[in-house]
Amino acid sequence: MSSIMISGLSAGYGRVPVLEEVDLTVAAGTTTAVLGASGGGKTTLLRAIAGFLRPAAGRIVINDRVLSDDTTFLAPHRRPLGYVRQDGTLFPHLDVAGNITFGLSRAERRRPGVVGELLELVGLAPDLARRNPAQLSGGQQQRVALARALARRPEVVLLDEPFSSLDAALRAETRRATATALAESGATALLVTHDQAEALSCADQIAILRDKQLVQVGTPAEVYGDPTDPDLARFLGEAVVLPGQAYGGVARCALGAVRLAQPADGQVVVVLRPEQIRLSPEPDDAETGPTTIAGVVRDVAFYGHDTMLELELVSTAERVLARLAGAPIPAVGTRASLHVDGTAKAFPSG
Amino acid sequence: MTSTVRASPVGPGVRRVRAGSGPLPVVLAAAVVAAVTVAPLIIVVAQALPLGWSGAGAYLFRPRMAELLGNTVALVILTVPLTILIGVGAAWLVERCVLPGVGVWRILLLAPLAVPAFVASYAWSSAWPSVSGLWGAVFVTTLAYYPFVYLPVAALLRTLDQGDVDSARALGETAAGAALRVVLPHLRPALCGGALLVALHLLAEFGVMQMLRFSTLTTAIVQQYAIGFSDAAGSMLATVLIALCLLVLVIEVFARGRTRIARVGRGTREQPVRASLGRWTAPVLAVLTALVGLGVIVPVAVVLRWLLRAALADAIDGPRLLATTGTTLLLACLAGVAVLAAALPGAWLLDRRRSAFSVALERLTFVASALPGVVVGLALVTVAVHWARPIYQTVGLVVLAYLILFVPRAVVTWRAGLAAVPPELAEAGRSLGAGGVGTFTRVVLPIVAPSALTGFVLVFLATATELTATLLLAPTGTETLATAFWAASDELDYVASAPYAAVLILLSAPLTLLLHRRMAAVA
Amino acid sequence: MRRRTFLTGLGAAGALGLLGCGGNRTSPAVEEYVPDRGALQLYSAQHQNLTTAWADAFSAETGIRVQVRKGQDASMGHQIVAEGDASPADVFITENSPAMTLVERAGLLAEVGGSTRRQLLQHLTLSSQTWVPIAARSTVLVYNTTSLATQEIPASLMELSDASWKDRWACAAGGADFQAIVAGMIADQGEAKTADWLAGLKANARILQNNIATMKSVNAGEIPCGVIYHYYWYRDQAGTKEGSGNTALHYFKNSDPGAFVSLSAGGVLASSAKPAEAQQFLAFITSQQGQRVLVDSGSMEYAVAVGVASDPALPPLQSLQAPSVDPVDLNSEKVIALMTDAGIL
Repeated sequence: MSSIMISGLSAGYGRVPVLEEVDLTVAAGTTTAVLGASGGGKTTLLRAIAGFLRPAAGRIVINDRVLSDDTTFLAPHRRPLGYVRQDGTLFPHLDVAGNITFGLSRAERRRPGVVGELLELVGLAPDLARRNPAQLSGGQQQRVALARALARRPEVVLLDEPFSSLDAALRAETRRATATALAESGATALLVTHDQAEALSCADQIAILRDKQLVQVGTPAEVYGDPTDPDLARFLGEAVVLPGQAYGGVARCALGAVRLAQPADGQVVVVLRPEQIRLSPEPDDAETGPTTIAGVVRDVAFYGHDTMLELELVSTAERVLARLAGAPIPAVGTRASLHVDGTAKAFPSG
Repeated sequence: MTSTVRASPVGPGVRRVRAGSGPLPVVLAAAVVAAVTVAPLIIVVAQALPLGWSGAGAYLFRPRMAELLGNTVALVILTVPLTILIGVGAAWLVERCVLPGVGVWRILLLAPLAVPAFVASYAWSSAWPSVSGLWGAVFVTTLAYYPFVYLPVAALLRTLDQGDVDSARALGETAAGAALRVVLPHLRPALCGGALLVALHLLAEFGVMQMLRFSTLTTAIVQQYAIGFSDAAGSMLATVLIALCLLVLVIEVFARGRTRIARVGRGTREQPVRASLGRWTAPVLAVLTALVGLGVIVPVAVVLRWLLRAALADAIDGPRLLATTGTTLLLACLAGVAVLAAALPGAWLLDRRRSAFSVALERLTFVASALPGVVVGLALVTVAVHWARPIYQTVGLVVLAYLILFVPRAVVTWRAGLAAVPPELAEAGRSLGAGGVGTFTRVVLPIVAPSALTGFVLVFLATATELTATLLLAPTGTETLATAFWAASDELDYVASAPYAAVLILLSAPLTLLLHRRMAAVA
Repeated sequence: MRRRTFLTGLGAAGALGLLGCGGNRTSPAVEEYVPDRGALQLYSAQHQNLTTAWADAFSAETGIRVQVRKGQDASMGHQIVAEGDASPADVFITENSPAMTLVERAGLLAEVGGSTRRQLLQHLTLSSQTWVPIAARSTVLVYNTTSLATQEIPASLMELSDASWKDRWACAAGGADFQAIVAGMIADQGEAKTADWLAGLKANARILQNNIATMKSVNAGEIPCGVIYHYYWYRDQAGTKEGSGNTALHYFKNSDPGAFVSLSAGGVLASSAKPAEAQQFLAFITSQQGQRVLVDSGSMEYAVAVGVASDPALPPLQSLQAPSVDPVDLNSEKVIALMTDAGIL
């Protein structure tokens, strides 16, 4: 079980800096997901840790072993790391067994059952051992790549968008198998992805990379529930963002009076999650009061497990999103009464 | 997901080509190889210099020169379009249409490669002496060289994505229009490469032209050197020939354009849907049969006929045949290994580093390869006799000539092999604990090996059928199949040359099979 | 699967290579050139079967091994000139004399022993002492008996430049053989007349690659007549008659340029490492024994030694009425210059 410590990492290609002063700690045995937009430098981070890229500045330490700093630079094949790429990068000239045992010494390779164990670790049938990589599905290839990386019992496993090239159906399954394998092997994992669902579900810790920096690091619940700015809120899942006026623990906005997680004052931007907005049938006109927020359903997107509704507020004609679990699903044009559950976050305007 | 033609190299995360010249040892090695391949060129031009401007002018602006130039240019202008037509047409029919016996056609259409061009011309002119002059030469060389176009085009058509055509049709294009606007641009690089090869072969061809009594620059050069008087005159002709080759190279660059074919977007390639020929099937089969018949069956049949006569007349010199075969094999193996080794640095640079240096390198080696064997041969004799006597009349010098002549072919196949090993694979190897050497031997080498083998076989074949440089440089008493064949056929002793022709065909046949299997492995 | 392909391919290549080496062991065909103390280096532009016959007979007679390098007249001559003193050649034999005089003018030949020279026919004695004739061949007109009537046969070679002969005759103008004939014409008729004749050649004659092609072309009826050397015809007649069955020969005689007799030459290189053996070789091939080897080899060339009769099928050398031309005067460079001017080369 090893921890990763990165401090002050700056790296780039040629004169173009891609990462600036990045600090990150990954606790031993946990999985951290680095989330960021495509081209934002996530892969650069991994390549720097793996040793394929020489950082301009900073330190990378695994446990107490310095992999790279101002004076040291350990070659990639000497680093106790496993690296799984987006496309698996299996060796086309070796079969599955050959691929998996590639990093092992000759003696270890010959040990009976070594391939079977590793295949089992990633949840694959042992009869795949003799197959050619090209004959496997994308998900199977990724799992073989993972088994290959884990075969050497690395202290740290780096995964570069490992599921993004898979079909949606395979993705969840492969994700689960990967998480299980990592947990069983006890390796510390650093995963980079642009898929938030992946990051939120896979990781013990999420780090968000934006503009060459890590703008927030925390548990998935922290990062989701307590984003540090509205853009981040929008980035990580759907968000309802409305201007409002905050008076201590409450803010007034188009959705009425909303309780705030932290007190604030003055002009603010109120941020909610769609699942916090509850719908109820609109009461008769007689019961309509100043506290009732009415909205008209303008768009319905059914996802199977839930439905996302886009509602137009009657009062201000602003649009908000609401997530509805289960049935019945209101039709477009239905009027409903909206309530806010839970607390919202408020950020100063401007 | 589809592939489209893009204007620049593309692909998320594709870092295969880096800027900068590359590691010094590799650059140095590549530069040395390029210098050696260019040396005969410089020697040839230097030998022409003593004529001076007036002498050169007097020599060049003569009716004879116009005749030679006209013949050579006419040959190229007539043959290249024909080979393109036949090559692309055959490839299209075999790979994109419903055709009975596709597997058989794939092999048969490559079969002309098994018959060296000068053997084919020997077969044709011995059976029908009227096959001669410009039309005879166009006829024989078209049939002999169309596989140079057919091969890359067919390989490309096999890997084509049906998605492209479907997208085009969804946008309102007809089937024919989709073919023209979507598929054909894909073919451009392959087509231009193949046409270039045909043109260069035509410019350098000696045996065919000599046998069919068609005077080109090359036959005139051989004649001049055979006469031996005035090296300057022959060098003058050679300089003109070099100029023609450069012109051909430039034309090819422009024809190919700057488009790069790359797959944009992910997802799997869809298998191409074959078009049905309907009532055209029978005529098409007839045409293909005629093509194979003329290109392969007729020459082989004629050779066999002469061989039979030789056997019946007890005119086959067994020991000599065995000895020449052994010599040929040995020289070809040596050349194969030497050329592969020499071509690797340049190919690596071209694959992994794109710089003005590596591109210039490539063009230099290509220009040198366009020189006819006789020019290279005599340039090397001059060098060896004047400055490096110990290597004169050694096997090494002959192999050096082959190296100069055939390095570009090996560069092409190396590049194909290296392209199959993107840096990501090497990185995966290193991330799994294999150091630099380990990665090379366990990852790069096994994947590159099939291409290396193809390169070896290509060079092997080219060496086994090389004629003029061997005539000049081979050590005393060394005879190859080609020179033995030539000695007999030059005297129109068809019977005596038949056994050598037959063995040459036998040696070349495996090439056809190998290329066919490589093509099959692509799809 | 790829590994298997790779290994099979490697195995095949290895097997081929071994076969190549195997070939090496069974014969000296792949010997690298090393100055072999034992073997005499013979540079030969003569036909292969005659050269081999001479080399084998000499080795059998003297026990001296001979290593033959084959080549063409002019290119071999120029190669020797280019090699200069470093040339490994001990003996040089040619088909025609201009190639030899080229080497002679470069000062690379040693004097031939008097006893060797005395073996030769009187009327072939040369003004030069550095080379000797070793065989002779006569210019002839070969004609298709169906296509050309006897009365149409030209009286002189010079007539063929006339416009009436357009596309009716062929020759191997690019070869050393024909250039010797032209050299003889220059020596006999002068440069101006030769230049005119060459212009006529360019306009009228079909130029083929060598004598045999010319003969076979005439035989096939493609062209009525051609100018070649005699022995190709006799060889074919003695064999299958495939290349000459429909043809006959016409000797121009009357000291016409068309009756030019070209001498095959033999010389010893001054730089030879084995001068004694080299002289011995020359002496042998010009001796009665050596010349009988020539006659028996079936090459159908004329013997040049005293007391040796050429093949009975051939008309006697004396009866050919060849123009008297000193072989030393034959200048190949002038020929080439004239031919270049005429646009033939």
